[in-house]
Amino acid sequence: MEPIRQTQKKYASRAMTAAIIIGLVFILAGQKPLGKGFILGTVFSVINFILMGETLPMKMSKSRGKTFFFTLFSMVFRYALMAVPLIVAIKFEQFNVVAAIFGIFMIQILILGDHVLKIIWPKRQQRI
Amino acid sequence: MNIEVQTVVEVAAYVGGGLAMGFGAIGAAIGEGYTAARANEAISRNPKISGDIFKTMLVGQAVAESASIFALVVAILLLFMKVPFPTLLKAAAILGAGISMGFGAIGSGIGSGYPAAEACCGIARQPATASRLTTNMLIGSAVCQTPAIFSMVVALMLMFINFGGASLQPTWAAYLGAGLSMGLAAIGSGFGGGLAAGASCEGISRNPGTAASVTTIMLVGQAVAQTASIFGLLVSFILMFKSFPESTALSAAMALLSAGICMGFGGIGPGIGNGMAAGGAVQWVARNVEHAGDLMRIMLVGQAVSQSTAIYAMVVSLVLIFVV
Repeated sequence: MEPIRQTQKKYASRAMTAAIIIGLVFILAGQKPLGKGFILGTVFSVINFILMGETLPMKMSKSRGKTFFFTLFSMVFRYALMAVPLIVAIKFEQFNVVAAIFGIFMIQILILGDHVLKIIWPKRQQRI
Repeated sequence: MNIEVQTVVEVAAYVGGGLAMGFGAIGAAIGEGYTAARANEAISRNPKISGDIFKTMLVGQAVAESASIFALVVAILLLFMKVPFPTLLKAAAILGAGISMGFGAIGSGIGSGYPAAEACCGIARQPATASRLTTNMLIGSAVCQTPAIFSMVVALMLMFINFGGASLQPTWAAYLGAGLSMGLAAIGSGFGGGLAAGASCEGISRNPGTAASVTTIMLVGQAVAQTASIFGLLVSFILMFKSFPESTALSAAMALLSAGICMGFGGIGPGIGNGMAAGGAVQWVARNVEHAGDLMRIMLVGQAVSQSTAIYAMVVSLVLIFVV
């Protein structure tokens, strides 16, 4: 499952780097709740993406009945996990809710952004 | 029985949250399941590249999941929102928000599963086109999410805009109608967009040389398929922002609710139909790229005719809002 690991590593590390940079910019600009909310949302987006990839091979190596329950549990668990940053941001004023919402879409934004960049600058991507 | 307004607003928020996440989970789960089913087929055809197929499945499912994450966001906001000045009108708006998001995520969730599924099968067929297929899949999936984004925008507006001094009768029905109009109309467009995107992935895997034409026609087809959800959005905006004179007559409220129901249900068929027309065109452009112009013309004429029923629905909705 090396290609899955590589994909996870690529997008997870990019998401965390982007979150830290954007979060730091917000914090240095005096918008601490925005920065903290964004980093919080991104952390959970990355955890969700890693869990998604890690549970894929596990689903394949079980019997049909077990796979069904395992998949159901994995989905419920991942959705419950994605609710955590939102609830934390709503309950605690140190985290901005809107920034946390943007954060939980960080992986999706990066996946789409990566491929849009490939269309815009195909030659540059090939050289890299 | 005397129920406090605060309690009614809380009940509306809980029911709205339940509807948003409950219905919102349907589409993404079906879309992801369909992707996994086709990924199995792809792996059994070409087990040597199972890693690449898994990778495409993972990325495709991550994007397909967006619609249900929109629903999750709206559901959590509804469950924990604080309403400083609770009114019965606010309760109707909150319920409308849940309905808009719940229904609105169904089509996009199912639709985004199609390009991911076809991309997995396409990679098994033509491993050399993996990168091009993944890009096309992601563009198609992203466009499929547009109706769900419209629904989320309407839901957030219903939740957070202060509609001020609007009269309870008949405006409560307008807010519920706004949610229904947007949520239901988004189903067809999301699903239809997925049909076009799925066909384009299949087409590229069959004839990679036609990728540019296929992607262009897919985008045009998907854009036209979104029209039904744009009509739904338009009717929602009118229902939210038009001020209605106070009226105790039930018929006035029912006319506004029916306007939302009419546009909502009326938008489902045209969205799917337009997606089928776009899917057919894209599929055959890949096989016969020399006639791409003719195929696109036929697609657009077919979509325009299929769109007419959505226009009828919008006209009836506007009559219900402005005339009745």
